[in-house]
Amino acid sequence: MTISPNEAGAMLADVEAIVARVKRSRIYRQSSAILMLWGAIVVAGNLSCLAAPRWSGVGWLAADALGAAATFAMLRRRSSPGARFPSRFLGAFALFFVFGFVWSELLGRFGLRELDAFWPTLFLFGYALAGLWFGAAFAALGLGLSALIVAGYFWSGDWFNLWLAVVNGGGFVLCGLWMRRA
Amino acid sequence: MSAPDETIHQPVRLRIMAALTALSASDEGLDFAHLKTLTGATDGNLGAHIDHLAKAGYVEVSKAFVARRPRTTVKASPSGRAAFGRHVAFLREIIARA
Repeated sequence: MTISPNEAGAMLADVEAIVARVKRSRIYRQSSAILMLWGAIVVAGNLSCLAAPRWSGVGWLAADALGAAATFAMLRRRSSPGARFPSRFLGAFALFFVFGFVWSELLGRFGLRELDAFWPTLFLFGYALAGLWFGAAFAALGLGLSALIVAGYFWSGDWFNLWLAVVNGGGFVLCGLWMRRA
Repeated sequence: MSAPDETIHQPVRLRIMAALTALSASDEGLDFAHLKTLTGATDGNLGAHIDHLAKAGYVEVSKAFVARRPRTTVKASPSGRAAFGRHVAFLREIIARA
């Protein structure tokens, strides 16, 4: 059997492309349940803001804590035996949260509507960044939903929380469903 | 210079082995539908190539029912991983010698 250098190069490129697809697909499939979980949390959180606006701050804190704990548990369950503690995930989440808290509560003095727009777009910025390393779908999710949230901020009137529940929560669930089959 | 692996050399089988060895050895493997998407092969074609690789001892095939549907999972065996590694090394050697 004779193989030319060009044929060998083409075969190796094929191998590398398949390996990259498998790794990306693995990341998407492992992320899908987490995205759907956060989609459900976003839907529930925004609908509860509509129903009981006075409790929105406490409600979101509880929902975020629950979501972070559930995400952490899912990451632990899927990691191979002896794998390292997912401290990077916890660190990234804490950094985003502290950054958001400093700007929204201490420096920015945001109103309720601004807070409702700021927090999801802050974390969606993280998804957009993750897309640079882990697959374009994360970037599309981060940028696409951020654009829709900004649009809702300006044009959804009194129905901004409903807009967020449908667009942001629904977007996460749909993206999670797509990633499950990627 | 080492020799090519005649079993793995075929393009679809090369893709199958590349996909399966991209996973860690402790991973459960890839299901048939996912492999079909990754390799771009038809059902019959993919099945025939998986059989060929299984006969060579390069992959392990397991069948189970998940949610009442049959599910075929394919996983690279240790000898398959080694053979794929040798074949890739052989291809790199060709390029290095050019």
